[in-house]
Amino acid sequence: MSRVAVAARLGFREQARRPLLLVLLVGLPFFFITRAIANTERLPRLVELPGGGEVLSNMRDIHGADMAAITIAFLAGLVGVFVMQSAREADRRLVVAGFSARQAIAPRLLILAAATSIVLAVSLAVTALSFTPRLWAPFIAGNLLVGLIYGMLGALAGAAVDKLGATYLILFGAMLDLGVVQNPMFGSGAPPAWAPALPGYGAGRVIVDSAFSSEFHAWGELAVGCVWAVALAVAVVVVLGRLVGVAAD
Amino acid sequence: MTRTLAFTREQLRAPFALALLIAVPALFVAAAAGVLADFARALGGGLAGDAAASLGAGWAAAFIAGSLGFFQAASSRGADRRLALAGAGPGRVAASRILASLALAVVAAAAGFIALQLRADIVHPWHAAAAVLAFALIYLSVGVVIGSVVDGALEGSLAVAFVFLLDVFSGPGMAESPAPYSVSRKAADVLIASGLGEASPGADWLKLGAAVTIALAAALAVFAYSARSRL
Repeated sequence: MSRVAVAARLGFREQARRPLLLVLLVGLPFFFITRAIANTERLPRLVELPGGGEVLSNMRDIHGADMAAITIAFLAGLVGVFVMQSAREADRRLVVAGFSARQAIAPRLLILAAATSIVLAVSLAVTALSFTPRLWAPFIAGNLLVGLIYGMLGALAGAAVDKLGATYLILFGAMLDLGVVQNPMFGSGAPPAWAPALPGYGAGRVIVDSAFSSEFHAWGELAVGCVWAVALAVAVVVVLGRLVGVAAD
Repeated sequence: MTRTLAFTREQLRAPFALALLIAVPALFVAAAAGVLADFARALGGGLAGDAAASLGAGWAAAFIAGSLGFFQAASSRGADRRLALAGAGPGRVAASRILASLALAVVAAAAGFIALQLRADIVHPWHAAAAVLAFALIYLSVGVVIGSVVDGALEGSLAVAFVFLLDVFSGPGMAESPAPYSVSRKAADVLIASGLGEASPGADWLKLGAAVTIALAAALAVFAYSARSRL
């Protein structure tokens, strides 16, 4: 068995010893998405779509469309923070024991991807109980991008600051980005002019378009989201590689 | 005093920790104040005037203090017992822990309150300040209690977020009728009243004082339990 496979198996076994984590990763999305949608009134609301169109929807449906993304961002971001924290502590020893930095960090990224997939699957399944987007495929893609982007932002935050600071950054960052700035429930129904500067912009617009339009227009925004995800993935590999590699020097 | 300072420094020794403790609640109040009234209306509640901005300050301080309480409790495990056995005694170690936690909660509450004062014209600023601090202290205790029963940092952070979001969605202002299990209900009542320019009745202050006292007593008990010898 390759070293990556051994380290991945050990990493997944470590997570399996934490049943509360699985309960929270499944229970939190289920509880909050259903509750948020059920508690929201059907107040009429105009939503501006990518490509310039507008659609008259209501607050409950908009909340249904964006609550999954907010939840995924929170949870994937926090998983990213603590996967990175754990890697900082344990993977240095793997590198000292002879693993290359890449062999040590690949399993961590697999764990992050697996946790993000669980949160994504649960969030989308729960959303489907109360809200049906017009286009499922780009809706899933948008939410997957949110998970990847925030998972990796969490990992970078976990590398840059301690657990407490990284937790603050991810929770408030996700809340402000996807929960406020990109959220058509607030303001004019369209993101402000400076919204594209935030990481959730591309994915957020893909979600809005696929939720309310029967034809997909947000190709440019999808590309923006993909660029964010790739750039952050490169940054995570470089930063994590340096962190575990430096210890071996 | 030395122990209290050491416990305070323990939470602030990472880069940017103090800056984040101050900046995050301030930024949240500044950014979210404008949208919370719309959000409350969508959820069937109602927040007129500066009540939405006020509640945002309370929430920001609450979440910061809750996370802080969790990590304080998590780091007190084991270490505090050794400190107590080394001669400091469990009572003094617990007192130092709670004082350090209080100092940090006061900083987070002050940051939220100052941002609120800059953002809104609060008629009863001392009432608002007391209510924001109460939010922070109640959640400090929530975090400490969670830290005493949950081991992992990720699980603990998620558990604090769970209680916080449950409270936000079911508390005054956001729900048509606030749920009885909303832990910050009384703090929110006083904070919303101050945002509306109204003074809260004496009964509300008494209930808020009781909630904060119970919360702090629980946090102190957790720290004392962590520090006591198992020999």
